Amino acid sequence: MAFLLGSGLLGFLHLTWQGVVMMCIGGLLMWLGIAKKVEPVLLVPIGAGCLIANIPLGGAAEAGGFLTVLRQGGIITEIFPLLIFIAIGAMIDFEPFLQRPYTIFLGGAAQFGIFFTFFVAYALGDGWLHVLNFTLKDAASIGTIGSADGPTTIYVASILQTKYLAPIVVAAYSYMALVPIIQPPIIKALCSKAERALKMEVFVGTTPQKVKILFPIVVIIVAGLICPMATPLIGCLMFGNLLRECGVTKSLSDAAQNELSNIVTILLGITVGGMMAGGEFLKPETILVFVLGVVAFGLDTVSGVLLGKLMMVLSGRKVNPMIGACGISAFPMSSRVVQKLGLEANPYNHLLMHAAGSNTAGQIASVIAGGVMIMLTFH
Amino acid sequence: MLTALWIVITRMVIIMAVMGVLFLAITILNKLVRPKTKKKEE
Repeated sequence: MAFLLGSGLLGFLHLTWQGVVMMCIGGLLMWLGIAKKVEPVLLVPIGAGCLIANIPLGGAAEAGGFLTVLRQGGIITEIFPLLIFIAIGAMIDFEPFLQRPYTIFLGGAAQFGIFFTFFVAYALGDGWLHVLNFTLKDAASIGTIGSADGPTTIYVASILQTKYLAPIVVAAYSYMALVPIIQPPIIKALCSKAERALKMEVFVGTTPQKVKILFPIVVIIVAGLICPMATPLIGCLMFGNLLRECGVTKSLSDAAQNELSNIVTILLGITVGGMMAGGEFLKPETILVFVLGVVAFGLDTVSGVLLGKLMMVLSGRKVNPMIGACGISAFPMSSRVVQKLGLEANPYNHLLMHAAGSNTAGQIASVIAGGVMIMLTFH
Repeated sequence: MLTALWIVITRMVIIMAVMGVLFLAITILNKLVRPKTKKKEE
């Protein structure tokens, strides 16, 4: 027995309670993905990575292990999130947004949760109460969970070098999958049935191809010049979209939407799961990070809907306030939530394209919000 | 905490400013490049 213990052949003798808990969580994530079809593309690789990382003596998540190598090469260097952004850009059709440019303000307003959560996290930490070990940069990274955008969260948290990278990234991806559960009660609490039933005018016509081609170029220049720290993120997002819209790079656009997206999602998912090693992950602060993440998502929804209500009043009830909730990014789950709520209130109320406009605007706004958070590196 | 409050206010202002400039840019773009069908009608 002593030989077996010393040789490391019997991994189960080295099991810790933290490792067992994390393996169960990994199993739960895979079950949610496979059996319940909840974001399987994300949860299956994350769950598998979590399971592999917590097998004792496996060494996958230790120095030199393949998950550590992936983490250092893809997440610490910020390469994975940027590559994912090229893929996302190639997948997104910005036409609903280009037809309703006013929705960009809904996207901007729905980033408030990021900053409020940052404020609360900093107040709990070094800023005021000192009950937690949250520095200014930790608080900013936690707040960025509210961008409802996994790659942006990874990018910002990596640059700000937070010590809570693993729980922040896992929270960001988990809550993305939970948008259909988090948002509806908040929207219903803020909007009456009559408001939810409000129909919006259908936009007739198509956006000229020239506008679709110029749009990503204009966004890179404008956003880059005003907020240079957001340039890598917005640059990759818009580069992907340019590949989609320019009409002469179909093979590159297809590759970005399929091969690049799938490969990086596999690598990113298993790496994020690999960051869930028991000892590092199971801390009281992890629970706080998850709680603050929900606060960020909830407040994003609240601020988006409130601006939506203001637009409804100013426009003479031509805007359904629910589309403000889609400003949180989380594309396209948030749009689907609003479409479903609209149909529940009025079977003839199709809000999907309006919601998609706000949702894609939120995608841009969340990247800008990530960029302005990175400006904290100057502090 | 004042620093944090200052960060919250300035960052939200920066975001809404970027959104405002992008709104103007897209509106101008939409005005400059009109759909071909509309041109034919005119």
